[in-house]
Amino acid sequence: MSYIPGQPVSVVVQRIEIQKLRDGDNLILGFSIGGGIDQDSNQNPFSEDKTDKGIYVTRVSKGGPAEVAGLRIGDKIMQVNGWDMTMVTHDQARKKLTKKNEDVVRLLVTRRSLEDVVRQSMMQQPTH
Amino acid sequence: MQVDLVCRICDAAVSGRSSREERSRSSLPTLTAFNNPNCSHSPADIKAHNFGQTATMEDYDVPSAASILASVKEQEARFERLTRALEDERRNVSLQLERGSLPSDMLAGRTTGMSNQPLAWQQMVMQEQSPSNQTSLAMMQEPQEVVEETVTIEEDPGTPTSHVSVVTSDDGTTRRTETKDHLTNMKVTKMVKTVTTRTVRQVPLGPDGLPLPEGSSPLGSYTDSIDRRYMKNGDRFIMPQATSTLTRSYNNYADSYSDTPDTQFRHYALHDGYGDVTENYGSLSRGVNYRPYRPYMAAGGYRPENSYTLPIRKEDYGHVAQPQVPMGSSTVDLNRSQPERFQPEPYGLEDDRRSLGQDEEEPFDLEPDYSTANRRTLPGRTIREPLRNGPRVRGYEDPIEAELIDERHPYIHGMYPAPLAQPERGSLASLDHMGGRRSPSIDSIRKDPRWRDPDLPEVIAMLGHPIDPVKSNAAAYLQHLCYENDKIKKDVRQLKGIPVLVGLLDHPKSEVHRKACGALRNISFGKDHDNKVAIKNCDGIPALIRLMRKTNDMEVRELITGTLWNLSSYEPLKMVIINHGLQTMTNEVVIPHSGWEHEPNEDSKPRDAEWTTVFKNTSGCLRNVSSDGAEARRRLRECEGLVDALLHALQSAVGKKDMDNKSVENCVCIMRNLSYHVHKEVPGAEKFQDPSALQGPDSSGTQRKKKDDAGCFGGKKAKGRKNGEHDKNYDTLDLPKRTEPTKGFELLYQPEVVRLYLSLLTESQNYNTLEAAAGALQNLSAGQWTWSNYIRATVRKEKGLPILVELLRSDSDKVVRAVAIALRNLSIDRRNKDLIGSYAMRDLVSNLPSGQQRPAKNLEEDTVVAILNTIHEIITDSSENARSLMTAQAIDKLVAINRTSQSARETKAASHVLQTVWSYKELRNALTKDGWNKTHFQPIATGTPKGSKSCKPGYDDTTLPLMEKNQGSRGCGSGDMIPMDEFGPDGYSTINQRDSNSKYKSSDGSSDLQEREPFKNDTNRKHYIRSNRPTVSLVDACDVKPQPVDSWV
Repeated sequence: MSYIPGQPVSVVVQRIEIQKLRDGDNLILGFSIGGGIDQDSNQNPFSEDKTDKGIYVTRVSKGGPAEVAGLRIGDKIMQVNGWDMTMVTHDQARKKLTKKNEDVVRLLVTRRSLEDVVRQSMMQQPTH
Repeated sequence: MQVDLVCRICDAAVSGRSSREERSRSSLPTLTAFNNPNCSHSPADIKAHNFGQTATMEDYDVPSAASILASVKEQEARFERLTRALEDERRNVSLQLERGSLPSDMLAGRTTGMSNQPLAWQQMVMQEQSPSNQTSLAMMQEPQEVVEETVTIEEDPGTPTSHVSVVTSDDGTTRRTETKDHLTNMKVTKMVKTVTTRTVRQVPLGPDGLPLPEGSSPLGSYTDSIDRRYMKNGDRFIMPQATSTLTRSYNNYADSYSDTPDTQFRHYALHDGYGDVTENYGSLSRGVNYRPYRPYMAAGGYRPENSYTLPIRKEDYGHVAQPQVPMGSSTVDLNRSQPERFQPEPYGLEDDRRSLGQDEEEPFDLEPDYSTANRRTLPGRTIREPLRNGPRVRGYEDPIEAELIDERHPYIHGMYPAPLAQPERGSLASLDHMGGRRSPSIDSIRKDPRWRDPDLPEVIAMLGHPIDPVKSNAAAYLQHLCYENDKIKKDVRQLKGIPVLVGLLDHPKSEVHRKACGALRNISFGKDHDNKVAIKNCDGIPALIRLMRKTNDMEVRELITGTLWNLSSYEPLKMVIINHGLQTMTNEVVIPHSGWEHEPNEDSKPRDAEWTTVFKNTSGCLRNVSSDGAEARRRLRECEGLVDALLHALQSAVGKKDMDNKSVENCVCIMRNLSYHVHKEVPGAEKFQDPSALQGPDSSGTQRKKKDDAGCFGGKKAKGRKNGEHDKNYDTLDLPKRTEPTKGFELLYQPEVVRLYLSLLTESQNYNTLEAAAGALQNLSAGQWTWSNYIRATVRKEKGLPILVELLRSDSDKVVRAVAIALRNLSIDRRNKDLIGSYAMRDLVSNLPSGQQRPAKNLEEDTVVAILNTIHEIITDSSENARSLMTAQAIDKLVAINRTSQSARETKAASHVLQTVWSYKELRNALTKDGWNKTHFQPIATGTPKGSKSCKPGYDDTTLPLMEKNQGSRGCGSGDMIPMDEFGPDGYSTINQRDSNSKYKSSDGSSDLQEREPFKNDTNRKHYIRSNRPTVSLVDACDVKPQPVDSWV
């Protein structure tokens, strides 16, 4: 998942669609995010490459909409409703996720295990 | 209060100037900080004032032109009368003056401000005979009138002509002031230079015949420019008048400030110095002034900044106008260069380049010195000096007059900021300046300023001049010249200037030894070690130490320690510094500034360390010398109070959460260096050697493993194994009983220090500090003696492993490297090895380059090799760890390195890891399933035999180069690592050796099965522990740092 800024990234992603839950006035997704280009990426416990300033899922509330939809701790959010999340500030990401007028967010996420699966399958045909 | 404040600002400005001068050669962070506020505020103020004035003038213009003209004329007449009267008076008084009876008065006058001036003051005024001074004289005599006059004049501008003149004068004033300021700034240089010239000419003693042109003095040139300017503006003004006008405009300013005239004036001068004003008016005067002189600059042997000529000043002025910019930028530059130049060696005992920091600050030192010196010197200054010189000087009266003016006339000072420049006082140069200024008419006669800078031999010769101020000025000038100019440094050395400077260190006058020290500091800085050697060869080091003992002056001490720091960067001088200065530096600087007390007072709470420049310099010096091998380490360890004080300072840094500064970095580096090889070098170390390490390699292999196992699970089920018991006991704290508090070098390896280093590792943002703290742990955890056992266990118990693992993600190459090696040493402890294998593997692996693509942080070869060696150590004797290596997807990376790396060392190290992995038969199944086969794990090089025998030399090859490259400096890092591959007495090395032997041997045989049996049995338990662990250890690691932002959505 390490990448060079400015270069296209190819990752294995999963689509996750979360139906927001109405809680009084608030719409909640039931997870928390960390990271962003304005944050200290070194402190991100989930990223493999510590210079990765992407947005990561840091907590998922039990039984919440995110968990139901299959989001997991440590997932890296690549897109929200089509908006790129790999080069945004923390707050920009938060705003994209919490728009009041959207009941559904569609995420593109990637996680290590996804890559592992793909890698495993590719390993089945050793190259030499 | 107000007055005070203004004065201070004034001083600051002056010092800033002079520093600026310096600045051109040196960057002054402090100065910048100090000056900027002043600058920024003062110019603004002034501008506003100017504005106001201009407006006023215009308002009054139309109506009062005629009347103003009249009043001006009248004043001129009055001045003339006054002048005549004064001249008479002066004759009378001059005799008295000669007796030198006035100094105190003069001083008083200067300090208190003219308004208070008693008789003495007036007398001095009287002595002033020069026509140009008329105005000032008049004012002096009738202090109250001054104000009035000012007012009148201000309004005068009404007349078109006079208006012009006024404006001009305004300009002129501003201009002049600025120019003056330049002069002031240049003071150091200028004074020196002038001195030279004069001295040479008038003093027969002068070794150098200065080709000074006929009577053209700096003053002359100065005046010239002024005069010319005036003329340009309105020829109608004769010199004296011009002067008076100037003065008057000054007064105006003063009024607006409504301070005491003195204060105001100074304030004003200050403002002028910072060219906002200049910019406004600048084009006019500047053009006039400096074009004609330009050629001079080119002619000057030195760089333009150095040249004395007015025009140059102007040039400089440009600098002055935006002092912040140049300063700032230079500072920035230095800073920027730091990382590169300072590159801490991976195991960097060597800090040579850090001494750069020193020079960085030079400007500081100089500046403040200067201003302070002036101030300070004043009181002590005796009128006698000038008098004595008088006869030699061509115009006997000149000097005196100059002095008088200086002292008594704030206004003049303002206009010609030089007054603050007092330092010249003794020097003829300043006198000349004054004189020139004072009587422009005279000076204007010699319109041809053909004086020049003194050349280097002349300056060096002046160091031996009988007059102290000349010496100090020459030294200051030398410092200035040497700044960042290796050529000049070399020249000074070849001209035998260094012994003279060293000789001046013992000079009783603080001014002199300070300046000499400043020059030595600049000379000692740089890559040219010959300069350092030259200082040492004339016993400069003992002289510096002597001076350190003698002086209490902080600034001088900064210079001394700075010089020592510079000197300490050269290997051969380190021991000399230790021999002469270690205990002195410790007693005079380290202990007092660290806050440590021999016998702490029970009542008072422990003092905190003060991060002074002196402390920083001294610790930097000690840091450098601490890398000079075993003997140096021994001396430092045994230096009374040193280790105690350093530890105290660090603890206080941790307590105050102030861990990013250079002093802390220096202290940690010293500690790390002193921790190197403690287990071998410390007196009585034999007593603590771990018995298990002393056993033969054959038996110890098994035994050790057992012991470690026990340790690992001791907490859970401590069976009766002896070694396990031992470990377990430690958990309940079974440290050697201490009858008395630990002190001195014993503190280095007490388990208590672990917490200190871990705090630093957690909190510090300074990569060098991080590296050093990790290096200290690495050093302490190396070797086989009781204390390193304790240390390794303590790191675990203090939850240090997650902290270290966390740092594997650091962006800094050297931090990653130091941490990796520390983990390797820590994994001698079996339980540590298991934990590290479980929790660090992923981070270790992620630092490895993968085939096509290096990780985002492009780690150096050394680091990659260190990580590979750490991995190797961790998976040795632990199939479990080898398994986590597999699951961390390391195999493809390792294979890629093994096949494609450009680095032979990386290739070899990776190959060793792969061989080890393959040696675990129980893993082969999984490996094959993943598509790997035996060929992937065999050394690529066909010539490389496999097996332990071949492996060993290979190992040596990979690690040894580290050592060879940089023996002393790297010592602490790889030094500890290397023994393990050699047959060193080190337990570590033995173990490693043994382990690899057995492993490789066993990989083919069946014996290994037995050996590994226990592991397999324990696997479940291990898993259990692991599953618990992560929450504890890893979460801890994260918690240590400020939590990143985390938003619920």
